[in-house]
Amino acid sequence: MSQPRALENIRVVDFSWVRAGPWATRWLGALGAEIIKIEWPETERGRLPSSTTPQGLDVNLNTSGNFSDTNVNKKSLSLNVRSAKGLEIVKRLIAISDIVIENFSSRVLQNWGLGYEEMCKIKPDIVYVSMSGYGHTGRNHAYTTFGPVAQAVAGLTHLSGLPEQPPAGWGWSYMDDTGGMYGAMCALTGLYHRNMTGRGQHIDQAQMVSSVPLNGPALLDFTVNGRGSKRPGFPPGNRAHWPGTPLVNNYRGPTVAPHNAYRTHPGGYNDWCVIVCHADEEWNQLVRVMGSPSWAASDKFATVAGRLQHQEELDAHIEAWSLTLGKYALTELCQAAGVRALPVQSAEDRVEHDPQLRHRDMYLPMPHSALGVHKVQNAPFKLSETPAVNSRPSPLIGEHTREIVEGLLGYGHDDLRAGFDDGTFWPTKRARFPYQEDMLL
Amino acid sequence: MSDAQQGQGPLTGLRILELSDEKGQFCGKLFGDLGADVIKIEPPDGERNRHVGPFLDDIPHPERSLSFWYYNTSKRGITLNLETSDGRALFRRLAATADVILETFRPGYLASLRLDFDSLRADNPGLILCSLTPFGQTGPWRDYLSSDLLHMAAGGEMASCGYDEADVPNAPPIAPGGGNAWHMGCHYAYMAIMAALVFRTVSGQGQYIDVSIHEACALTTESAIANYVYRGEVLRRQTGRHHAPGPTPRTQFRAKDGTYVTALISGGLNPRNVKNLADLMDVYGMAGDLKDPKYQDPAVIAAHTSHIIDGLLASFIASVPAEEVYHAAQARGFTWGAVRAPEALLDDAHLQDRNFWKTVEHPELGRSFVYPGEAAIYNGSPWGISRRAPLIGEHNTEIFCGELGLSRGELSVLTETRVI
Repeated sequence: MSQPRALENIRVVDFSWVRAGPWATRWLGALGAEIIKIEWPETERGRLPSSTTPQGLDVNLNTSGNFSDTNVNKKSLSLNVRSAKGLEIVKRLIAISDIVIENFSSRVLQNWGLGYEEMCKIKPDIVYVSMSGYGHTGRNHAYTTFGPVAQAVAGLTHLSGLPEQPPAGWGWSYMDDTGGMYGAMCALTGLYHRNMTGRGQHIDQAQMVSSVPLNGPALLDFTVNGRGSKRPGFPPGNRAHWPGTPLVNNYRGPTVAPHNAYRTHPGGYNDWCVIVCHADEEWNQLVRVMGSPSWAASDKFATVAGRLQHQEELDAHIEAWSLTLGKYALTELCQAAGVRALPVQSAEDRVEHDPQLRHRDMYLPMPHSALGVHKVQNAPFKLSETPAVNSRPSPLIGEHTREIVEGLLGYGHDDLRAGFDDGTFWPTKRARFPYQEDMLL
Repeated sequence: MSDAQQGQGPLTGLRILELSDEKGQFCGKLFGDLGADVIKIEPPDGERNRHVGPFLDDIPHPERSLSFWYYNTSKRGITLNLETSDGRALFRRLAATADVILETFRPGYLASLRLDFDSLRADNPGLILCSLTPFGQTGPWRDYLSSDLLHMAAGGEMASCGYDEADVPNAPPIAPGGGNAWHMGCHYAYMAIMAALVFRTVSGQGQYIDVSIHEACALTTESAIANYVYRGEVLRRQTGRHHAPGPTPRTQFRAKDGTYVTALISGGLNPRNVKNLADLMDVYGMAGDLKDPKYQDPAVIAAHTSHIIDGLLASFIASVPAEEVYHAAQARGFTWGAVRAPEALLDDAHLQDRNFWKTVEHPELGRSFVYPGEAAIYNGSPWGISRRAPLIGEHNTEIFCGELGLSRGELSVLTETRVI
């Protein structure tokens, strides 16, 4: 590789599973760190269950599409850490690593005999990032989360929906994505601090707790003004304000109209666009784009106060127009005139139809030995000197066991075979994949 | 750069210049609260986010925006008009002292002022300049306008959020509130800048970073891309739960006090989970017939899923307040939670145990207010809010005179001529 990597020579021991932890280490890997993912097929969560295995392939530990996208840029070591021999091997690995990341419940690593104190004995300046649901301290530290539960408990779910309806919430584990971001951010911050001071530390990141600072303005409205967000008109759907309710800022930005989603031609499930006018000039431009219809000349729409007050009528008129155009055509017309508009995009739209993402190489194909060639998501940042690149496909389970055990840790080939025989590297009663048999030749 | 001491944030000694509006202010806060010296450079009249509500006591004023307060903690603030040559000269002098510059101007703007990366790094070879913009510096959409709602549409968030047809007929796709498109962009920008800083500790080299908020949002819909790429599926929106290729059982139930509860059954309705569920509901006399041994047969469970979920579970939750359901269920190993309004978090004992809430002094008002605290506890180098958001130009004298050596007279002249 001609260009250097930002995290050249950084090694990460990655115990993470499911989604949030692996999403963190995916990015450290893209930035050039060596990620060693420690897995055990009997307790694995992330590869299975799989609802993203391509039609026509067997569902097994190596065929989850979502696992594959989430775990590019990593190596896999299959190891029973709950055995004395496995623990010894992990300790030898930590001794030559920079970062340990895990997203277990709060006491798991400690119970294995791998708490932070123990890690420090092996590698005094280790940066240890724990990514649990509620953190390692506090009375509810043993509680468990998924993204949707962290989002609910921390107030994020409440921010999404139409007034007088149940919360619409987030249609995915936003806090698995974002919790993963915080895991990576903590690891990088800890690493920078170590490089500057020589000192490692334990960083206690928690999915539920990390959700709370994302509600800042709503929280200050309560702690400063005493106003809660269980109130008429909140949340206001896609609007900045729900007509007929008290005129209060809704924590998304300026209170303006139009500010909504509108149906577009031909009226299918994802045929919607959003239009926002932040100022009168933008509204006047939108009126011109719509062909200066007579309704838009009415005084009641001339000011932002009027447009907010008559929002139902305004939105109905805009939608009658938007339904005459496809969402991409509408976007181009509006943006060319300086009007804020973009299409609602499904995953298919983003991968196939979004000209910007295509231009920026957001989805590039990568071959995988069990799944074939599929597009993989790239980084949203371009670093001029140390680009983030997806350098290797997601590992098959245990694919790099020999490379790590013999090559990196210096065990002999007989040790590897003995470890397979005694259940250290693979359960003795579980069928081995062909690449594991090859490893033992 | 001074050695960070125990008791200081992990980024102590770093200097960040922030030239940012709503798109990047949270990124600056992330750095400032972790100990970096973040200098926010605003236009002479102040950044436009000072005009975003809600406002202190609902009195609109650029020093009373709670949104501005929240996103600009732990920063110093100066004013500078970059469209004047004096302003640009002062900016160049500051840039020579910076580790990182974060900017959110439209692509090409800094270059039009001859303040682009190549010209700034001539005086500062280790400089890292991060441009955080809606669509990045290149491509057919690079000059498009955006907003939080627009990003949530094009990024794919809205296509995944909404309602079951039975709950709200003809509902639009829904964009969750709170300004999260900006959060997504700022998280990735923070990550990219930190990676560049780590690289600089080893190489001494700076670099330019181009971050796209659209791409950050497009990356933040969990499995939606994988469902399409690997199976060709386009997902449907469902009330208060995951998008899916086809309908899945509901997971959001209204509790006795009107608050909802998110009640997922991890691992699904298997005999063990059904037994645990029956035991939990039985404490409240709400187990119905679920203790019947027939429910230990997976086939019987499968035939009665609707009875168990939509009947028994929904009735149980409807009979108990949400917070009580949440804690009782968690105590028995169920990964459930109450759907709280943000203000309910102030009463959360767990957050109190973690000293999550911080009191921030506003000396100009003679008052102090409670702010949310840290996403993660850095045990070796603590997070902290070092000061409330800056007033407009609050640190002009401190920085222009104290650090750049301008005289009071020069500062006055530059202020009178709208440079500062």
